[in-house]
Amino acid sequence: MLSTETLYLLYLSTGLTVGFGHCIGMCGPIVVTFSLNLKGKNIIFPQFLYHLGRITTYAILGGVVAATGSLTMVAANIESLQKGVMIFAGALIMLMGFAMAGWVSLGSVFRNPVGSGGIISRGFGKLLKVKSTGIYFPLGLLLGLLPCGPVYTALLGAARSGMEANTLHQGVLGGMGLMVAFGLGTVPALFLVAKLADLGWLKSREFIYKFGAVLMIAVGVFFIVKAIRY
Amino acid sequence: MKHLRILLGAALLFAFLLAEPGRISAGDKYQEMINCDLHAGPCTQAFSENSVTLEVAPRPVKAMQDLLFKVTLAQKLSQTPIAPYIDLGMPGMNMGPNRVQLKPAGNAIYEGRGVIVRCPSGRRTWQAMVIMPGVGQVSFIFDVIY
Repeated sequence: MLSTETLYLLYLSTGLTVGFGHCIGMCGPIVVTFSLNLKGKNIIFPQFLYHLGRITTYAILGGVVAATGSLTMVAANIESLQKGVMIFAGALIMLMGFAMAGWVSLGSVFRNPVGSGGIISRGFGKLLKVKSTGIYFPLGLLLGLLPCGPVYTALLGAARSGMEANTLHQGVLGGMGLMVAFGLGTVPALFLVAKLADLGWLKSREFIYKFGAVLMIAVGVFFIVKAIRY
Repeated sequence: MKHLRILLGAALLFAFLLAEPGRISAGDKYQEMINCDLHAGPCTQAFSENSVTLEVAPRPVKAMQDLLFKVTLAQKLSQTPIAPYIDLGMPGMNMGPNRVQLKPAGNAIYEGRGVIVRCPSGRRTWQAMVIMPGVGQVSFIFDVIY
């Protein structure tokens, strides 16, 4: 059996390789969307908050599967939620695309006289304001629930570590630690993608923003289709 | 008018992607690699004048479900002191390390429990690499049900 330190290193390196080999494809559009939405402003702190939120969710999931000793049971219980998160992510990216290109007025989208939809529309409204950097943390918390094969694989390891621990407390902490290590490993790849999309250095930004907006709308549609099929 | 065109374009893309599942994933080429139908029963692969058989239960084999993996080695292969193990993965996509530890369960039979995780890309072709330490490895490529 591998030592705890070796396991953490293994999960960190797994996150690193999976990050560059897998995460860029699935979560890359999300971080690019956030970068483009910031329109040349500093992306470091928003990205930090987003990844902090995402890794926090991973840690919580790691603790839960370690405590239950079963990924399949936990996954079955959150499947509907994950589908909803995927649809939300797709809708968010689409809206950001429309808003960024100036094709849709945020005021007209989020003016919602009906009370039941008020919280959602106010939430979306806040998300799309560049000034509210703090919103990236809860976004990361939520989007950390997106279904992801490598995350499931890492959670399998967390579940196993929970079953092999001497006490429940030890197992939960171990599971959380492994998922934090995995999540940290995925950050460099995603941050690099976000940085590349940071167009502060680009002169003809207007065309790029319009082009990026079209891509974002397409990606948003793709996410929603994936969610329906999931 | 411009907004309508954009919305129409998005709606068309949505309908296209929904109606054309084959175009979403690049899994077609991996379908050609399939050498095993675990839904129908055990699969056997030749290995150096011997054979290795893999069986997964319950059938049909579904992702995100607790599975029992059973490997049967030809007598000559089973004489090695170290039990084989299975590395699960997806051809052409890094899903992270997913190892099924196997324990002796009878005459040249080894069993272990594991989970095939689900890939949101929609691809369903998976690979079980049966590794016999110090001897070699055999690959089983198959489809699972999501």
